[in-house]
Amino acid sequence: MSNAYLTYAAKRLGQAVVVILLAYVFTFVVVSILPGDPITSVLRNPQNGFSEQEIGEIIAAQGLDQPVLVQLWHSLSGFLTGDLGVSMRSNRPVSTLIAEVIPSTLILASSGLAVALFLAFAVAYGTQVLPKRYGQGLLRAFPSLFQSTPNFVIGLFLIHLFGFQLRLFRVIEPDSFWATLFAAITIGIPFSAQIAEVLIANLDHEAKQEYASVARSRGIGQRRLFTRHLLKPASLPVVTVIALTVGELLGNSLITETVFGRTGLGSLVQRSVSTQDLPVLQAIVSLGAVVFVLVNLIADLLYPLLDPRVKMVVGKKYRSTAAGEPSLDPTKAVNP
Amino acid sequence: MASQDRLNTHLTAIKTVASHAANPTSLVRAENLSVSYGGNKVVHDVSFELGRGKSLALIGESGSGKSTIARAVLRLLPSGGHASGKVVFDGQDVLSLSERQFRPLRGRAIGFVPQDPGNSLNPVRTIGAQAMEAAALTDEPNASIRKELILETFAQVGLDNPQRVYDSYPHQLSGGMLQRVLIGLAVLPRPALLVADEPTSALDVTIQKRILDLLTRLQHDLDISLLLITHDLAIAAERADQLVVLKDGSVQEAGKTASVFSSPTSAYARKLHADVPALNPNRYAKLRDPGFRLLDGKTAKAPKIEVNSITKTFEVDGKVLTAVDDVSFAVPAGTTHALVGESGSGKTTTIRLLLGLDEPDTGSISVAGDDLAGRSQKDLRAVWRHLQLVYQNPFTSLDPTWTVERLVREPLDRFKIGTAAERTQQVREALTNVGLADHLLSRKPGALSGGQRQRVAIARSLVLKPDVIVLDEPTSALDVSVQADIVEVLLSLQAKLGLTYVFVSHDLALVRQLAHTVSVMQRGRIVEHGTVGDIFDNPSHAYTATLLESIPSGLSGDTSEAAHRRVSRAERKEAFA
Repeated sequence: MSNAYLTYAAKRLGQAVVVILLAYVFTFVVVSILPGDPITSVLRNPQNGFSEQEIGEIIAAQGLDQPVLVQLWHSLSGFLTGDLGVSMRSNRPVSTLIAEVIPSTLILASSGLAVALFLAFAVAYGTQVLPKRYGQGLLRAFPSLFQSTPNFVIGLFLIHLFGFQLRLFRVIEPDSFWATLFAAITIGIPFSAQIAEVLIANLDHEAKQEYASVARSRGIGQRRLFTRHLLKPASLPVVTVIALTVGELLGNSLITETVFGRTGLGSLVQRSVSTQDLPVLQAIVSLGAVVFVLVNLIADLLYPLLDPRVKMVVGKKYRSTAAGEPSLDPTKAVNP
Repeated sequence: MASQDRLNTHLTAIKTVASHAANPTSLVRAENLSVSYGGNKVVHDVSFELGRGKSLALIGESGSGKSTIARAVLRLLPSGGHASGKVVFDGQDVLSLSERQFRPLRGRAIGFVPQDPGNSLNPVRTIGAQAMEAAALTDEPNASIRKELILETFAQVGLDNPQRVYDSYPHQLSGGMLQRVLIGLAVLPRPALLVADEPTSALDVTIQKRILDLLTRLQHDLDISLLLITHDLAIAAERADQLVVLKDGSVQEAGKTASVFSSPTSAYARKLHADVPALNPNRYAKLRDPGFRLLDGKTAKAPKIEVNSITKTFEVDGKVLTAVDDVSFAVPAGTTHALVGESGSGKTTTIRLLLGLDEPDTGSISVAGDDLAGRSQKDLRAVWRHLQLVYQNPFTSLDPTWTVERLVREPLDRFKIGTAAERTQQVREALTNVGLADHLLSRKPGALSGGQRQRVAIARSLVLKPDVIVLDEPTSALDVSVQADIVEVLLSLQAKLGLTYVFVSHDLALVRQLAHTVSVMQRGRIVEHGTVGDIFDNPSHAYTATLLESIPSGLSGDTSEAAHRRVSRAERKEAFA
């Protein structure tokens, strides 16, 4: 780890913190100017059967009688110290509610990402290494097919085939290994299509580069060309794609959780929206922002490690003096 | 100790696959080789024969099929390409082999040196990792011996810190060093044949000479046959035993270098010879005359452009880099001043300052007596009207979606000159001046040849009727025959309109014929300046002398003169027809 890299990392980290804070404030403002008043619609709803005294207590506890700026201040300082407030509906701490459901969602999202990466790289490998006559064209059609199939259709199809017909897993046990695997496949397939599309396009681009020809002129075969030469440069944009679509992954996990009947962040969001449970919503949206910013931060930090040319801006240059041949003009340094 | 012996065996092993061959003299023989893409035939029935340890050059301009032939021999044609006929390598027709049968020959028996060293190594892998691929072809099982072998080879090709090169990424090395690396990797497995596809066209002239010297030395030391692909007749004649001249995929002329070079029989080979500035020192002299007299006589007017000790520094990674260091020159009206030097010498920064695209840190620039410094953007526009630029590469400098008319007319529209009818008239005038017919007005750049595109670019700068045109390597992206046309257009325009040129180039042979005064730049400084005659006949600075020595000259001075005399103007006309 060079000093330059650490400076770069520190700068990016600082930017990430600022973005998270802004996202929090933005969410707070949006939620508080939304039409509909949670006090009237939820607390005074006769079905909930709160007495006026209870309502008064809740309002006081949540600080809803304070001016908006004061509320924001309390909320933000709570967020910074790790206190996410108390749910209006269940009167339990928001952090507890989230902690209950987040492991399930994390397992689903991360195994979905793993499935997506596996599928994408397998398809991409096939398009580069398989001879043309063995269905390379068919493989190239997969990404657009996968991308145009709605998530829940895949989920229902998998449940029907593997759950009901083949009885590989019991549909009433959504947290079992097999059920989780198929949920992960459901979430991974459309995601893999996005990755595969970028990956294949980049592999094709890299394969046309002069260095690929030159490597082949050294007797390198297709398979080694793929693994040793093309994969790394072609994967760089994939890092960006993953970072940008991670929000989508969270959104898709919501649908998949519903289809497979899992409890997770998705069901919590659904409940909180219908009851206008502001503290929970605020916490979940902010959490989403944190995840999104973190993933992009990781992508930013990975880039210079994957592509040595990114370091060029800060790194030391190698100058040949004795040979007298001028080294690359530093003003032309590549910084993709 | 044992490993040292094994290393030495590898290093001294000149024996190759080829040495057990049936035919002791011929290594590569192409018989009626044709290559087509889809239904489009780009190489027509080409035949040649390259002997063991000999060298053969395929010469031609872009589109001549020379690189396609090289790739057909290596069986590395892009997808869609199909080769027919025969390429017999070491007694075996390689075109009839399957990919699996041919692959063992690649690298081991046939090495490849590519054209553009900057793009020929994987940018995200170290040089060492890629060198290991070449070393693996030696079948040496011991990894540390393989690495030693690489380092020895790097030293052999003139890289002075092999370990450092081994650990570097491609972007950390200069073009010349990368080409040495690539040549090293190609010769490391001791192939019988080396195919070099324009190995120096992306390099500076002094480095070009060193790389070619290296190739020639390795060819002799390691007893390798060399198939050299080049567009440069002078290089080919200097380096090859045999020449094959190609045009549009067909052989125009072939034979021993001495005979093809000094007494070409085909019209195309004669034209090619006549268009190389280095081989024809007096080609454009007549056209240049007027300005020259102006300079020599006492009639020289006040300078059109005066550059007074300008300096420009850039800060890169916290280090200060002086791109232009105390540069001064003056250009009298109606003459051509050339800035010559290698990449990184500050030529481009100097013209950026001259055009007002950047401001110098210190020093002053005046055009027609007006100081450029401290002008507002609006005032600069007034200067730009009289100071136009022609870019290096007409393939990228013209918007491909615009028609010729719109391209040439744009400056008039921008500066709001004349009525619509007058603008149309001026566009036509400018096109006539550069020798383009009216029917091209509605064409887009994609439908024009390289020479036509550069004429459009010149017309575009002419249309504002400027006094000064800055020419940034205006011919370096063009074929030599097209280059000749452009140079003639530029010279006749100067004579007709009294234009002042600032000509940036690394082609000294061309500068000698085109310019009146020269500044030689090295590392941001002008190391020598004066009239063309003074600089070229009596260079006083060592760097200028090095530059001049690096110009490939073909065989020897008198033969090229003799050949030149044989090519009369009438014959050249015939070649055009």
